[in-house]
Amino acid sequence: MEQPVQTETWKARSLEELVRILHQIFAEDKVSVDEVQALMESYESNPEEWLQYAKFDQYRYTRNLVDNGNGKFNLMILCWGEGHGSSIHDHTDSHCFMKILQGNLKETLFEWPEKKGNGEMTKKSERVLRENQCAYINDSIGLHRVENISHTEPAVSLHLYSPPFNTCNTFDQRTGHKHKVTMTFYSQFGERTVCVSTDEVLLPRPGL
Amino acid sequence: LPAGLSQWFPALEVLDVSGTGLTEMGTELLSLPCLHTLLAKNNRLGGPGSLPKGLGQAPLARSLRVLNLSGNRFSEVPPALLQLRGLRSLSLGGNRLHSIPPDIQELHSLEFLYLGGNFITAIPPELAKLPSLTYLVLCDNKIQSIPPQLAQLHSLRSLSLHNNLLTYLPREILNLVHLDELSLRGNPLVVRFVRDLTYNPPSLQELAGRTIKTRNVPYAPSDLPESLVRYLSLASNCPNPKCGGVYFDSCVRQIKFVDFCGKYRLPLMHYLCSPECSSPYSSASQSSTSQSESDSEDEASVAAHRMQKVLLG
Repeated sequence: MEQPVQTETWKARSLEELVRILHQIFAEDKVSVDEVQALMESYESNPEEWLQYAKFDQYRYTRNLVDNGNGKFNLMILCWGEGHGSSIHDHTDSHCFMKILQGNLKETLFEWPEKKGNGEMTKKSERVLRENQCAYINDSIGLHRVENISHTEPAVSLHLYSPPFNTCNTFDQRTGHKHKVTMTFYSQFGERTVCVSTDEVLLPRPGL
Repeated sequence: LPAGLSQWFPALEVLDVSGTGLTEMGTELLSLPCLHTLLAKNNRLGGPGSLPKGLGQAPLARSLRVLNLSGNRFSEVPPALLQLRGLRSLSLGGNRLHSIPPDIQELHSLEFLYLGGNFITAIPPELAKLPSLTYLVLCDNKIQSIPPQLAQLHSLRSLSLHNNLLTYLPREILNLVHLDELSLRGNPLVVRFVRDLTYNPPSLQELAGRTIKTRNVPYAPSDLPESLVRYLSLASNCPNPKCGGVYFDSCVRQIKFVDFCGKYRLPLMHYLCSPECSSPYSSASQSSTSQSESDSEDEASVAAHRMQKVLLG
């Protein structure tokens, strides 16, 4: 993404409008990070508009696909139960925007570990993101861990990744060692997607 | 709670009084026969009268499935709560608890237990007697050790232990076959091998006890003082499969690192009956290559592989 000649100031009045404007922005050759961040922040979270995507899991946070941006970006909603958090991860050379729709999320930034690093990873900074705030990160900025530190309130966040990616690296805070993981969607476009292990074969249900 | 609640809404199943500043929930609760979900988070509950007397005899004791008391001021788990025999989900997150009562085992239908964000320092082994527990959250507390009995929670799928004071875990944790999620970050887990040099030689009483147990010397309660009969019943088996010995108070604490392909080393702790005894997870560099030792190495590596998925997920 590079700075275009002109930066628009958008105001998204609904989630639908946000998606429409995003499609418009990403149809261009050049997209501005500031423009997208301002657009995401301009949308005032209205639960009625996104409740259908907000599917919580008891055990861990969920990723729920909202829009696949004609291949240019992925827009998804993440649902974090009390105490749920992510591992430290990178963003596979993509841009990541994270907007809080409900509750609060703590973001802890980490430096990339040394090449042959074998020590504790270095924390750069941490902050608590409030409702409607939008954060941005990419691999050149660093790595981060995102967690819902509340023991009483669930949290919901809206994420935009461009280009889309489904693998990333997770990092062990104590040693800096990394491990590649594949991410899956808990639901897509409001429908629950059941994960099938590669070892299993999906048998047709009788009667259908 | 407003008086006459049960008269106006006798069929009430879900009651949410969260964020209302409640300091106590009174007898109105006792006459709600169909209530299965009670949400009372972010209130000022925690004092002596928080839950009504006679809760154990009310229909609520059998009907209530979900109770959320997070964000209140409980400094101990109210005994009345333990009478809610039908409870499946309990949250006391963000309170002021310093301990978990052993009688928590009374809640035998419990599947979901959230105790994050308190001041808990230890976990009673009785917690492991909850047969249906699948989700246990103990993050953000002051816990220094996990009792090995916790490995008896065969249904456990998710265990949250982050931000505590753990330096090691009991090796029995590898036995939790259904565990999909395990969080350990923010604990001062030991990263270097620790050899416990303070081995106190066994007392004469212990040596006698060990002999009785390992040689199966028969005895009856009439043969010995009651205190010695009790003592003999507390023998623990040495985890070394080749040893077959027992120990009472005198044991060696050893921390062994279970290695996950060089990426993550988890310090697991177990007791051995003597410094000469070897660990069930002997490293390959040790001399013996007998069948039983390589069996337990295989067992350890299979468990380690499974745990790797859990820890690095």
